[in-house]
Amino acid sequence: MIEVRDLHKAFGPLEVLKGISLSLAQGKVLVIIGPSGSGKTTLLRCLNLLETPDRGSLEIAGQRLEFKEGSGLAPKAVRALRLKTGMVFQSFNLFPHMTVLQNIMEGPVTVQRRSRAEAASQARELLGKVGLADKADAYPHQLSGGQQQRVAIARAMATAPEVLLFDEPTSALDPELVGDVLKVIRQLAFEGMTMVVVTHEMAFAADVADHLVLMDGGIILEQGPPDRVLGHAAHPRAVQFLSRLRGEEHQ
Amino acid sequence: MDERKLQILQDSLPPLLEAGLRYTLPLALLSFALGLLLAVATALIRISSWTVPRQIARFYVWVIRGTPLLVQLFIIFYGLPAAGVVLDPFIAALIGFTLSVGAYSSEIVRAAILSIHKGQWEAGYSIGMNRSQVLRRIVLPQAVRVSVPPLSNSFISLIKDTSLAAGITYVEMFRTAQQITAVTYEPLLLYSEAAAVYLLFCSVLSVLQHVLERRFERYSAI
Repeated sequence: MIEVRDLHKAFGPLEVLKGISLSLAQGKVLVIIGPSGSGKTTLLRCLNLLETPDRGSLEIAGQRLEFKEGSGLAPKAVRALRLKTGMVFQSFNLFPHMTVLQNIMEGPVTVQRRSRAEAASQARELLGKVGLADKADAYPHQLSGGQQQRVAIARAMATAPEVLLFDEPTSALDPELVGDVLKVIRQLAFEGMTMVVVTHEMAFAADVADHLVLMDGGIILEQGPPDRVLGHAAHPRAVQFLSRLRGEEHQ
Repeated sequence: MDERKLQILQDSLPPLLEAGLRYTLPLALLSFALGLLLAVATALIRISSWTVPRQIARFYVWVIRGTPLLVQLFIIFYGLPAAGVVLDPFIAALIGFTLSVGAYSSEIVRAAILSIHKGQWEAGYSIGMNRSQVLRRIVLPQAVRVSVPPLSNSFISLIKDTSLAAGITYVEMFRTAQQITAVTYEPLLLYSEAAAVYLLFCSVLSVLQHVLERRFERYSAI
């Protein structure tokens, strides 16, 4: 489903991704962890081309792209790839001038040219799925952070993407609201949605991931099944990162 | 105040109001509408990646902002005939004010677009939109809300600036006051009366601005 080969990305002189390769089968959940500045968010943003990689290749659901330095991408190919993916942002990024229902309908109606009636009924269905059936006509600012993030998940799913990308979906939430959002993501995993999640929630990562990637300094230090990465990390920096996390959790 | 003055005041109100409603307001409304189109186009060009059009837009804003409006009007009305272009006073005024609104308001529109958080663009792109869809559906509707107060300001300024058109023989409200003054010899009275009518027009606009801002409040937490 996802095939990343030797991906490189630099911002000016700062090399953020130094050759990332990974793959993920359909219906599996990939969780990416690592200290801040490790490149994990940039990697995620490369998957739907919010950042354009400098070198390497990327394939998602049959859409294959090769990156070479200095050469641009065809807008058509970029949009085709973006329609294969849906993205959930750390700061929700709902459209504040639209109601919850309009937020969810926007992709299907404006981009996919589906009928309003069809898009609306699908949007209501998605809202029910994330537990917010009664909020269809609310504006984003009338919702709590956790509710906004669940609307954002529904919006990301509305264009029927093959892969959902989550960029630290609970980092901006009050602790008591984190659970509701994680519950929705768990449910999606259970239903066989292919997902890539960048997160700091270790217990959640261990629980929901089929494949865990630990990044630092723009490279993958460890990857594999979560119990192996968390329990038997070999790389010294990985061991250090994990023990620091455990220390924090015990506080 | 003696009776003669009261009589003059009373007699001159209808022609002043008529000039205001028939000449001042239409000129202001039309040049503001056209100017806004020009402003949005200029702002979009200035945030685009087309180098040459961007330079032209910058040059336009630089020239219009850096020269007095009255001088621009004189160039258009009294100057252009020397180059073979003779314009009706209304058309000359319309061109002058439109260019002025376009230049000043383009900066308001540009700032409003730039004030919309980058995450809004990214959210639009992430659901498969292209740049123009994001602009049209996501960014511009939010930018409109941000720009209502400064644009109302510009419009109110424009209402008053139309009095400059008196200088190029366009008989709007101020020129009407001048004409009445020429017969009555009551400059203090007439110009004060004209000022009061301008104040009335601008007050109505302030109320409209308030109504417009209220309408946008429904989706804003602030």
